[in-house]
Amino acid sequence: MKGIARRSKLMLIFTAAFLAGVIVLVSTFVINAQDWAFKRANLHIYSSGQIVSAGKIFDRNGKVLAQTVDGEREYSDSKTVRRATLHAVGDLEGFIATGAHTTFRSELTGYSFFNGVYDLKKNGAGNDITLTIDSDLCTTALNALGNRKGAVGVYNYKTGEILCMVSTPTYDPENKPDDIDSDTSGKYDGIYLNRFLSGVFTPGSTFKVVTAISAIENIADINLRTFKCNGSYQTSTGEVRCNGVHGNINFGQALSKSCNSAFACIAEELGNEKLTQTAEQLGFNQRITVDGVKVTKSFLDLSEAVSVDRGWAGIGQYTTLANPCQMMTVMGAIANGGSAATPKIIKEDNALSSIAVQKLEYMSSDTANTIAKMMRDNVLNQYGEWRFPELEFAGKTGTAEVADGDPHSWFVGFSQREDLPLAVVVVVENGGEGISAAAPIANKVMQAAAK
Amino acid sequence: MRRKKWWLAALTLITVFQVISMVQVLFDQPAENALFVLDGKGLDAQSALFFGIFILVEWVYFIAMSIARKHSDPALELVAFFLTGIGLVVVAGANKEQLKTQFIAVMLGIVCFAVMLWLIGNVDRAMLMRTPMAAAAIGLLVLTLILARNIQGAFNWLQIGGMSIQPSEFVKVAFVFVGASTLDKLQTTRSLTKYIIFCVVCVALLFLMRDLGTALIFFFTFLVLAFMRSGDFRTLVLVCAAAAMAAGLVVLIRSDFVMERFSTYRHVWDDIYGKGYQQTRVLIYSVSGGLLGVGIGKGNLKDVSAATEDLVFGMICEEWGIIIGILVVLCILFIAFHSIRCAAGARSAFYAISGIAAGMLMLFQAALNVFGVTDLLPLTGVTLPFISRGGSSAICCWALLAFIKAADNRTWIKRGELGATQQ
Repeated sequence: MKGIARRSKLMLIFTAAFLAGVIVLVSTFVINAQDWAFKRANLHIYSSGQIVSAGKIFDRNGKVLAQTVDGEREYSDSKTVRRATLHAVGDLEGFIATGAHTTFRSELTGYSFFNGVYDLKKNGAGNDITLTIDSDLCTTALNALGNRKGAVGVYNYKTGEILCMVSTPTYDPENKPDDIDSDTSGKYDGIYLNRFLSGVFTPGSTFKVVTAISAIENIADINLRTFKCNGSYQTSTGEVRCNGVHGNINFGQALSKSCNSAFACIAEELGNEKLTQTAEQLGFNQRITVDGVKVTKSFLDLSEAVSVDRGWAGIGQYTTLANPCQMMTVMGAIANGGSAATPKIIKEDNALSSIAVQKLEYMSSDTANTIAKMMRDNVLNQYGEWRFPELEFAGKTGTAEVADGDPHSWFVGFSQREDLPLAVVVVVENGGEGISAAAPIANKVMQAAAK
Repeated sequence: MRRKKWWLAALTLITVFQVISMVQVLFDQPAENALFVLDGKGLDAQSALFFGIFILVEWVYFIAMSIARKHSDPALELVAFFLTGIGLVVVAGANKEQLKTQFIAVMLGIVCFAVMLWLIGNVDRAMLMRTPMAAAAIGLLVLTLILARNIQGAFNWLQIGGMSIQPSEFVKVAFVFVGASTLDKLQTTRSLTKYIIFCVVCVALLFLMRDLGTALIFFFTFLVLAFMRSGDFRTLVLVCAAAAMAAGLVVLIRSDFVMERFSTYRHVWDDIYGKGYQQTRVLIYSVSGGLLGVGIGKGNLKDVSAATEDLVFGMICEEWGIIIGILVVLCILFIAFHSIRCAAGARSAFYAISGIAAGMLMLFQAALNVFGVTDLLPLTGVTLPFISRGGSSAICCWALLAFIKAADNRTWIKRGELGATQQ
């Protein structure tokens, strides 16, 4: 019996192993709960793979963008609003990964590990959410974009609220085109992608703002320099062509006229390291999130760039890629004295949210004021105040050369009016000149926002 | 000896829990002609009767035990009744028509528990039963193999009259009994050889039935029995090596059926509408229930096949909440732990060994079930002791419980005998 008593103690190993298994099991539940609960096979939340029971989604003015009526998920009554807000609201199947239906599904369904789907079962819906977007402004932006592919974003750089976020091509979620997956003409290319948050494009001349900021911070006498442009800039490894022959120009004129020769020269003087440092300080190669939604990183890699590459990079070509949301945030920082509010998409109406605005520190206030003045001069001296009436507008155009088709048309800018603290970004894929394609869209949207 | 009747408080708590959970599934009839109405739904009188009898039996048992054997430790049966009650309500919540069969099986199980306890109460009487038990077990398995119908990929069901029974469940009881009694006194080589032949035949027959899960359980129980008797690790290593070779041989010959089960393991999400269907639904719905569950009978997992049998852990997590799911698993752990604790003070080696073997068998089976459906182990399709629907399983669990109860020395102290027998 003594032996048996001793051996029976060894059986405790099995009970310990079992207990360890239970702990592992509970841990895997806790870790994977969100992932598993939102599998489309979960009939508490989905029906035929579509989310059905969820709270309402409102725009900032209380207009319903999506709601559940009698077990059916319905969007806005207006077809144009449905198309304009599609990427912000998201589809029900989850193809639009950054849409509210997917990213805020926990809030919308009320699911949590602790409560499970209890609230959803009890109330038939989770929590309502209010987005910061203005559906009318989104409609204006969509109409301005027309049939062209691209993205428009507007946000308040003091509060961080995104007022407008439109991506094209888009579709009407209540009448999804039948040929959306079979079409080969390219008209639906990247239709599920929210280009504002998840797209990256060659930035072209809008990147000169970044190069200029780097120059202001690293070259003490940059304002006293003159640059000679005879149509191109020669480096030891090749030439960087300019869009014109600008002759002798100063730093401010270089930005206004978007002189490639001058900026290739500045990039050469800055060198790979300093240019990269400034770009990263402004959010390139950095992850930013909008209420937890990951924004695709803007990209700059000069690690293998020789001098001609550096020259092209300095004017936003080479391998450089920029994300519209990130470029818009840089504009916000310039307008707001060097620090911008982090963009956000969920509207919170409480005292705490207005005090606790998260800031991105991008540059010193001196730098911000210098570049802001230069960008204001762009409008006053180059683009013309008539293009942006009564906005006290500052900005920069971009005409980004791409491998196939017309160049991408860019415009980034901001209003300096105290009562209109908005920054804007417009990208039109293969749209041509920045000033002719993107700039008018920026004006239309800003005029609508100013009302 | 504590004279406080702590079990009375525990039983009251358990009863309250049972009544609350039973009420959730009882009111689902049309309000007309119903005896009682709650929220516009009428009482299901037949089910209420079954539940009522169950609770009555529970109370009669504990009161009778407290009178006849007042030193007996009631913790083991409290846990068993708690689990059985949950099992009954789960079955009723999923499909009322199956409640009657399950209720009868549970009653038979409790009777079986009492009979087994009486049978093994006297060691000499128990020893007489050894050979008939072994013969009956093998006979039953052979009979199954001849007559069995193919249910869910395994040939381990026997159709007698209108009832389907799973003979391997009854053989589990015989296996523990024969094992413990053969190994009790230091046996001659001849009887030991006979026992090993008995084990090999059992496991081989189960393999032929494609009942991989039960074969594993038998093998594990055999290892526990052999170790408890001999304490010799070398023998065990030898046995394991032999088993591994045999298993390898089986895989070579029948690779299709074994590999099919293991190919899904840790890849359940790759095939959520095929081979990973059951496991993925268990995972999805387990985390959907939250800590307190969506309510009994209101889950979605109950519509998946084998929900109340193999997948019952997921059903409890979904409908009763993860807290109760974990509590159920810990209850099984307690039973196993209790068997170890009692073994040290058991009256003889037979009680110690059979008690531990029964406890470890249930623990191992629970591990295969719970960790199998949650994809932490390969899915083998075994039941969760006391909870899963299935008459044979319910009877077997209660019968096995008798071994653990018998190993507890306090069970045998009669009224007024305390001073005399306590060592």
